[in-house]
Amino acid sequence: MTDAYPLSLAIVDDDEAVRTALRRLLRAMGHEVRVFASAEEYEAQAADADCLILDLRLPGLNGFELRERLRLRGSPTPIVFITGDGGPSPSDATAHAGTPTVAKPFSDGDLIAAIARAVSAGANVR
Amino acid sequence: MPAATNRQLAVRLAVGRALGRTRDLDDIYSAALDTLAECLEVSRASVLLFDPDGVMRFRAWRGLSSEYRAAVQGHSPWTPDSVDAVPLLVSDVTREPSLEEYQPVFAREGIAALGFIPLVSLGRVIGKFMLYYATPHAFDDEEVKLAEVIASAVAFAVERGRAHEMPRRSDSPQGYEPNASVIGPWEWEVPSDAPAAHPDGLPSGRLRQVRQCDIETDRDCLKILGLDGRLLYVNPAGVAQLGVEDSSTLVGRRWIDFWEEKDREVVEEAMARARAGTIGRFQRPTRTFAGTMKWWDVAVMPIVDAGGVVVQFKAVSRDVSAQWRTEVFQAGQHQVLEMIATGAPLAQVLTLLAHVIEDQYEGLRCQALLLDADGTHVRLGAAPSLPEEFSTLFDGQPVGPRVGSCGTVMQTARSVIVTEIRTDPQWDVLRDAAARNGLRSCWSAPILSSQKMVLGSFAMFCDTARGPCHEELRLLETAADLAGAAIDHHRSQEALRQSEERNRAILRAVPDLMFVFSDDGVYLDFHAKDPKELLVPPEAFLGKRMRDIMPPPLADSFSQAFERALATNEPERLEYSLDLSHEQRFFEACIVRCDSDKLLSIVRDITDRKRAELDAAAQRQELAHLNRVLILAEQSGALAHELSQPLAAILANAQAARHLLDRTPLDLDELRETLDDVIKSDKRAGTVIHRLRELLKKSNAVLQPLDLNEVTREVLDLTHSDLLLRRVPITTALSPGIPPVLGDRVQLQQVILNLVINACDAMSTVDPAERALKLTTVADDECVQIAISDRGVGIPDGALDSVFDPFVTHRADGLGLGLAISRSIVVAHHGRIQAENNADRGATFRCFLPLAGGTADVSRDSVVAMMSPG
Repeated sequence: MTDAYPLSLAIVDDDEAVRTALRRLLRAMGHEVRVFASAEEYEAQAADADCLILDLRLPGLNGFELRERLRLRGSPTPIVFITGDGGPSPSDATAHAGTPTVAKPFSDGDLIAAIARAVSAGANVR
Repeated sequence: MPAATNRQLAVRLAVGRALGRTRDLDDIYSAALDTLAECLEVSRASVLLFDPDGVMRFRAWRGLSSEYRAAVQGHSPWTPDSVDAVPLLVSDVTREPSLEEYQPVFAREGIAALGFIPLVSLGRVIGKFMLYYATPHAFDDEEVKLAEVIASAVAFAVERGRAHEMPRRSDSPQGYEPNASVIGPWEWEVPSDAPAAHPDGLPSGRLRQVRQCDIETDRDCLKILGLDGRLLYVNPAGVAQLGVEDSSTLVGRRWIDFWEEKDREVVEEAMARARAGTIGRFQRPTRTFAGTMKWWDVAVMPIVDAGGVVVQFKAVSRDVSAQWRTEVFQAGQHQVLEMIATGAPLAQVLTLLAHVIEDQYEGLRCQALLLDADGTHVRLGAAPSLPEEFSTLFDGQPVGPRVGSCGTVMQTARSVIVTEIRTDPQWDVLRDAAARNGLRSCWSAPILSSQKMVLGSFAMFCDTARGPCHEELRLLETAADLAGAAIDHHRSQEALRQSEERNRAILRAVPDLMFVFSDDGVYLDFHAKDPKELLVPPEAFLGKRMRDIMPPPLADSFSQAFERALATNEPERLEYSLDLSHEQRFFEACIVRCDSDKLLSIVRDITDRKRAELDAAAQRQELAHLNRVLILAEQSGALAHELSQPLAAILANAQAARHLLDRTPLDLDELRETLDDVIKSDKRAGTVIHRLRELLKKSNAVLQPLDLNEVTREVLDLTHSDLLLRRVPITTALSPGIPPVLGDRVQLQQVILNLVINACDAMSTVDPAERALKLTTVADDECVQIAISDRGVGIPDGALDSVFDPFVTHRADGLGLGLAISRSIVVAHHGRIQAENNADRGATFRCFLPLAGGTADVSRDSVVAMMSPG
């Protein structure tokens, strides 16, 4: 995936600084970005995205739970997990399987690569 | 009242000394006035005596004009027949109606107050002395008592002096006043054929001249001796005094045989002097032919013929028994008083007293009995001349008939004279014992303390059935008096000794150093159970100022403590440390005022205790630190998460900026915002790192006013992600504007952190949807309260208090130290912590912390001391 295709991206992260920075970065790379502070906020809006960038630790529903709900709803939106915890530990491997995860702090390249993987996988289903 | 007794004793000694030096009446009066001035501080006084015609006349005075004396001459509240005379004290002459007629005289003389002190001998007034005061004077009891002591001694001395004054001898034999104007050797003419006998028994010749003098001196024993020392003639007075019917039994005998063996040398010497033409004199005792011991003052003079050759001797002997007795008695009395004053054992004093009394008269044996402290039993004080089998009968007996008339004496506090023990009912019990030991009469007087309490009895036993003569009665009274002084003194000394012994026992028991300071900080004295505890030798600090010895900051502390102790009369405590040669030692001084102008400092070495305290504090510090480390270890995931957020923001912003720089035109505003965000995030990351460092440090408590809301928020920042991970939603109700508390930021953070983690742990088994954690802060007049409330499993009943005990845990893992450490921190902040179960579910932990600057102020020392090793 190159900057040539402007994507419509949604970011869910409860940290305001992270939201602001990520939006700035992705916009600077030419994409459209909408930001949400919680899973509930995202669900409340109707529009879909080309890719959902989802923080794992959220107040209320966490990242895993949102992913599950979207799948149950049959939402096709590809998902990328971002996390402050580092990469998935062996015990979490099953939970992360099928969803690309990048650990904060991540470079723009890593994030774009993860987005490309998620989109090309076509679906968020394992 | 030991002081008063001592004073009286001292006065008696002084008086005894002053009056005992002289037999001359004028000297006696002078000594009396001196004593009055010295002991009573009365500079104007006078001595008056009754004339033979019963008129009171001035004998000696100080500070009185002749007009005054003339004006008051003859006035006296007493007559020679007065008995039981007591001092009359006139505090203000203007208010005494009986003296009204003398008011103008007093005014002119400048007299405003008077003391009339009777001189009493054998119960009768012989005179008085007067005390004069220029201003109205309130007489106190001690003064009056001392005046009576002086009066008694003066009366005695005056009597003695008067007896002595009777026809005075000059340098002729004592008491002998030859009628002729010729004083000296007599001329004597002895006709060789003079008949030996003469109607008068006198050799003939010019003896007639001598004979006239005999008549004048017939009071004395006059003897004429031949050169061989044999008696040629004894005058009638001498015959009587020697206790024979007539001189026939004496004439022809050697005079020297009349004297004791040991005294004969002196007699010989006197005769030798007479033989040599001068007068030989001596004073010696000898028994009369009636068996009575008498003291004689003897002068042996030569009788010369016309040619000046000594042909005979004239020996004139004056019976000075009374004076001698008196002098011996005075000396004995003096000795007894000195023994008392120098603290000789009571038994010794009483024994000496008995001997002194017994020496005065023959046939008398004395016994002193002491009343026990319980007032019901009698102990033998002294009876040196009574047979032991008799005197021991009294020992331990109850007061009453078992101790004869002495019992009555002690019960009634009055003297009792028993002239015939055989028939007196008081002696029923002891009659046989008395008879066995040849005791026929008993004269007994009570021994009284200075407070007129009965201390015992003094008795004189006589081997004939009679009553005492005047002198003997006076002797008895004096003996009882002296015995009283002895016992009083002994008891007060004993009480003093016991009190000192108690003090010494206390000192011995107290393993401390004590210092006495003057109120301006000079070392006056010290006591050290172990002299090694003194860090410098006594000579290095005694007499020096504390400021010159102690290091200045310590000297300041001591100074302040001294001031407070002097002002409040309460003990002041001061803890301090001194660096000694190889170690630091800690001391506690308790400082208290003593006397009115001194300070007592009791110093205790508390190094061991202090070290233990410091060790304990260090241990607590270690534990607290360990607790923080463990928390942080638990929280490390959360912390890493916390750091990852700002780092992610920084990286994203930086990379965004790179992209923005490739655009044309450059959006400078966007770039600026980007960089600002980078800076913000970096600072945020820095704060997390800083907090981390703080918690990991093992630092000493730093006290400052803190906003508990702010501290709470800092803790929530740290635990934010952990709480998210644990699915614990937090609500806060932090009252705005709560007043500050004084405390250590890190330690209070630790408490809240412990409680939050504890609350989360309590909810770990609870359905996430049910979980909730609420933090509340609220303040009142005295303290700020923070409450952490959870909806967890709650605290088992009965464990609400023990939940704060160390190693009590309801978790499967964990040390159970978090709550214990939290409590110790809260307590060190002078606050309290408590746990309660909520009504619906879960528990609430409340911390109460006193306001900074409030009444329950947290002292730096307690928090610092408790939580740091110094």
